[in-house]
Amino acid sequence: MIESSASLQAKLANARALKDPQQLLDFIPYAAFIGAKAKVKDNSVIYCLDKRPSNIGNPSLPAVHGGVIGGFLELSASIEILYTAKVQAIPRVVDFSIDYLRPGRYRTIYASCEVLRQGRKLINVSVLAWQDNQSMPIATARCHFLIS
Amino acid sequence: MNLKFAIFKPMLKLAMERTGHGAALGFEITKVEKGEVELLFPYQVEVVGNPLTGVIHGGVIVSLLDTCCGSAAITILDSRVVTPTMDLRLDYMHPAEPFQPVYVSAKVYKHTANVIFCRGSAWQGDRDNPIAHCVATFMKVETSSISLSSVMTRQIKRLFRSKSAHLVKEDE
Repeated sequence: MIESSASLQAKLANARALKDPQQLLDFIPYAAFIGAKAKVKDNSVIYCLDKRPSNIGNPSLPAVHGGVIGGFLELSASIEILYTAKVQAIPRVVDFSIDYLRPGRYRTIYASCEVLRQGRKLINVSVLAWQDNQSMPIATARCHFLIS
Repeated sequence: MNLKFAIFKPMLKLAMERTGHGAALGFEITKVEKGEVELLFPYQVEVVGNPLTGVIHGGVIVSLLDTCCGSAAITILDSRVVTPTMDLRLDYMHPAEPFQPVYVSAKVYKHTANVIFCRGSAWQGDRDNPIAHCVATFMKVETSSISLSSVMTRQIKRLFRSKSAHLVKEDE
């Protein structure tokens, strides 16, 4: 299970060369656990979380677990850093804040990230999640990561 | 402990531990009191976030704290009210140790007519040296809006809409 740093560097180089951020997600077991996927669209990365029974929070609605949405957005932010911000090590999260705007229905969730500031030590990423319509977000998150 | 609460505790445990994402994570709720819930999460390789070190992903901590705070919020209410999360903020004090269980506790520190304010923390060896701390706020919502009957009504309406859209397409 424990991977070497060299295999991460190889994955990073490969993912950037082939424009395939999914390779980075494949490297992280938690991504497979929740079923997160990534693809490049118009030069930016779109992250998706397909519906699956193990991600349900409220079975009577059914709605996606708020914690899964949070975890998915935090994961998306860290992949965005590795893929677009040319960081060489897995970033360490310092803080994470999420506002839930609408319930996450039992359908695919999409997310896009924006790096708002990249310093030498710290990076700030903003994340937006939606389902059917990008103008009706279900959650917005922001987080800081240490990248040195 | 009154009878209502005696029934409530196993019901909460069942709902949180045996359904959906709670079942997938495999934690155990160890304490349920009015306004306070604690749980224990045994280490799992499936939720690793850093395969170089074996440390679990921060997203797991988000899920655990959201569940724990949400459960604590439910304990202060009667059964007709649900508590969707408004927001949650987490500070990671230091990385989790791999291969060790994570303990989580959450407390309601204030509740008003519409909002419930919670604090939570996650730790491993030393409770006073937490790996993460969080604050979360929850809405109080009357269950009628998401009760089973209204969910069913919405489903039927949606089905009817998609059916009629299909018919319009066929007419064209």
